[in-house]
Amino acid sequence: MLPLELTLAIIKPHVINNPISLSAIRNVILTSNFKIVRSKRLTFTNEIAETFYKEHKEKFFYNRLVTFMTSGPSDLYILTRENAVQEWRRLMGPTKVFKAQYEQPESIRGMYGLSDTRNASHGSDSTMSATKEITLLFPEFDIPKWYKTEEPYFRSGSLTFLNKDFIHKPNYY
Amino acid sequence: MLSKRIVFRLLKYNIREFSVKRKFPINPESEKQLPVFDYTISRTTYNRIYVWGCASTGALGILYKHNEIEYKTSQRRPKRSTFAEQHDVTTVGCGYGFTLFGVNSSTNVKLFGTGLNTDSQLGYHEVRNGKPLEVLFLPQPIILQYKNVEKAKIIKIRGGRAHSLVLTNEGVYLLGNNIYGQCGRQIIPDESYQMSRYIHHIEKVDGKEIKDIACGQDHSILVTQDGSVYSCGWGADGQTGLGHYNSESEFTKVQGDIASENIVKVATTADFVLALNDKGDVFGWGNTEYAQISTKDGSQQICNPIYLEMCKNVGKIRDIAAGGSFCMIVNDKGEVFVWGYGLLGVGPSVQSTPVPVQIPSTLFGVNDFQPDTVVKSVHCGMNHLCAITNYGDLYMWGRNKHNCLGLGDDKDQTFPLRVSVGGLVTDVVCGVDHNVVMCKPYI
Repeated sequence: MLPLELTLAIIKPHVINNPISLSAIRNVILTSNFKIVRSKRLTFTNEIAETFYKEHKEKFFYNRLVTFMTSGPSDLYILTRENAVQEWRRLMGPTKVFKAQYEQPESIRGMYGLSDTRNASHGSDSTMSATKEITLLFPEFDIPKWYKTEEPYFRSGSLTFLNKDFIHKPNYY
Repeated sequence: MLSKRIVFRLLKYNIREFSVKRKFPINPESEKQLPVFDYTISRTTYNRIYVWGCASTGALGILYKHNEIEYKTSQRRPKRSTFAEQHDVTTVGCGYGFTLFGVNSSTNVKLFGTGLNTDSQLGYHEVRNGKPLEVLFLPQPIILQYKNVEKAKIIKIRGGRAHSLVLTNEGVYLLGNNIYGQCGRQIIPDESYQMSRYIHHIEKVDGKEIKDIACGQDHSILVTQDGSVYSCGWGADGQTGLGHYNSESEFTKVQGDIASENIVKVATTADFVLALNDKGDVFGWGNTEYAQISTKDGSQQICNPIYLEMCKNVGKIRDIAAGGSFCMIVNDKGEVFVWGYGLLGVGPSVQSTPVPVQIPSTLFGVNDFQPDTVVKSVHCGMNHLCAITNYGDLYMWGRNKHNCLGLGDDKDQTFPLRVSVGGLVTDVVCGVDHNVVMCKPYI
């Protein structure tokens, strides 16, 4: 059995404004066998958004990406399963919504994205960047410690799902 | 052989009088006083309203049965709005998952809203027992503070992603999210828009009366009486047209090529804006990632309005519409032209074209029986397109997100197809994933 991978998923502000889309996306996450390790709702400050997207700093859409991400609360999830990074990117579909809705109409962005910036979700593009993004947005979360203490529970599936917090808790006893 | 006397009587009176042998012939004038049977016809002011598209947000204002709502996530065919039968609805506005109805009334209840209300874009509503807080499933009244309650009249309503504009004869009212300043008031950091009671009111801009409104996803545009354009809101793509890419929290005059033009209409849905002047010229600004405007230096954002020279050969332009990644115009001959990216209706697949391409007129019902059919007006949602002909037919095509085309299936439509609506369509208002159509009855 392959080791579990961690990836960061962000549900962007315009979906949080639409509770129907949000619950549909959450359903997609659960039915695709993802387990939710941590989840929190957070409004990006300018500093966090600028650090988070610093690789796009020279691109023309950098300003609108940062102003959009700081416009309201976003949902942040640490997801896990085998091959999590690739699987989550496959579920999301292409970045540009106007193209995604014709190329992959069933993907999350094709269904719930509005425009190229308001593209519903974000996912890490590799395990390296997943580690980087998780340490930036979840400073209290210790990845090596999680692999030591919680990962066996997630692997064996002895978990309790808390719908209210949208998180899987290991059954410790 | 008839006697002379009978022939005389035949000539003098009609045959019926002669045959009945009346002693007192009927006065021909009395026939005019007889009552004529009055067949029932509809009032000329009577509007029928049909809705379709995504139903799970409550934007259609139709109450489905409790067990039905589980699977009824979208209305595939036009459904007559029951709310509009009980109220004299004069104007409608749609946004991202919500609808506003303007009602002709002498009380202060002139505005109703239904759908998503996460940012108070439908005003403040009390928490009701057993109902979700953020969604209204049936139209609820929104009370605005009118100066003259009896004479106040709602003229036009438009909705964005999470804010809405209501144009009345007493100025414009702005409700909802103001994170980019799209409500025309100062941006307050960490303002909570949920359950907000604040409604902003702008009576005049620069002392001029407001004639028309337009609403993008996160920006607002006003057209004043003298034809100048004012905008505010999110400007990261240049969609405010103010010469910069920052958010603007106060309605500011748009300069550029339209500074001295008399603008009659502004069309915007997402982040691209088209404007039409009284001579039939078209101007554009905003996000042009999908070749809505081809610039020489290849820049994908334009923050100053520029004149679209490619529309010069098209003729005098009568109506404009701007979608998410495409534009549509109709000229005075009723010919429809499209350009941009998407299911434009000129081919069997997704297309990209930087210059206007005509959609064949036969697709809009020009045939031997109705050779004088012309397209009267065009409208766009984010990804779907509509056209209304002079015969009151509605044609729709494009992406069928949440069955918003109303054609009865869930496939994307690659060419214009007539929607079966039970009336003569006068106006269509497109939301992101639902549509509302105003109709006149046939008889």
